[in-house]
Amino acid sequence: MDTGVSTTPRRDELAISASGAEVRRASEWLSATCLQCDIPVAQAQRLEICLNEVLANVLAYGGSAALDAPIRLQLEVLCTAEAAQAHVTVSDAGVAFNPLMVKAPLRPDTLAEARPGGLGLVMIRRCSDWLDYRREGGHNHLTFGTRWIRA
Amino acid sequence: MSISFSDVGENLRKIVITGRLDIPGTDSVAAKLEALTAEPKKAVVVDLSSLRFLASIGIRSLITSAKAVQQRGGRMALVVGDNPSVRMSIEATGVGELIPVFKTAAEAERAAVA
Repeated sequence: MDTGVSTTPRRDELAISASGAEVRRASEWLSATCLQCDIPVAQAQRLEICLNEVLANVLAYGGSAALDAPIRLQLEVLCTAEAAQAHVTVSDAGVAFNPLMVKAPLRPDTLAEARPGGLGLVMIRRCSDWLDYRREGGHNHLTFGTRWIRA
Repeated sequence: MSISFSDVGENLRKIVITGRLDIPGTDSVAAKLEALTAEPKKAVVVDLSSLRFLASIGIRSLITSAKAVQQRGGRMALVVGDNPSVRMSIEATGVGELIPVFKTAAEAERAAVA
């Protein structure tokens, strides 16, 4: 919702290396920054889930190029008088991968049919209000965001 | 990150996981969870109500354990209490349709031993 009353966007950035411990550090950074920006808890949790799953995919499938280079994260928060949105862009040097082009896996009907894998993308799609992907300068840039009405 | 368990009678094992089931957290407890659910109790309750975060890697570990319990004729149930973060992860993946999820330990125990 654009009310025409915009505040200056707030941006915060972090660079991490590709490891599980660094994914946790990124998660803690996002959680703390969301708190500082007065992002509602539910929206912050959704962003945290998305961030963990995006980074897990980079670690698992990005290849050696992704593992050897920093992964850059940018949180941007935009507010108007009535509404707000926050989005995170994850930039990595791994092999090109556009999650928007991946078909959602079929949900199993029973536990016996359930197979490991594919849940990360399901969580990213369910927990974000929008996704955007671009390949630029040899990097993947994946953005996920959430919107909410301000009280 | 911690994982602990207690056995109740002949048939029920209660497992409590605290901390974060993200990549490092799951790496640190997955083998223990697998061992605790591999035998011998047929009813298993995993209490996630004090968990601070649940990522897909943690859910995969829970699914693997639930399948193992089911394959030996048992049933696994989850406890989430009033934990909104864990509930959000479970609802996002739909895993609650595969492994029964309850608010209280008592409800989960009744379902697991039924």
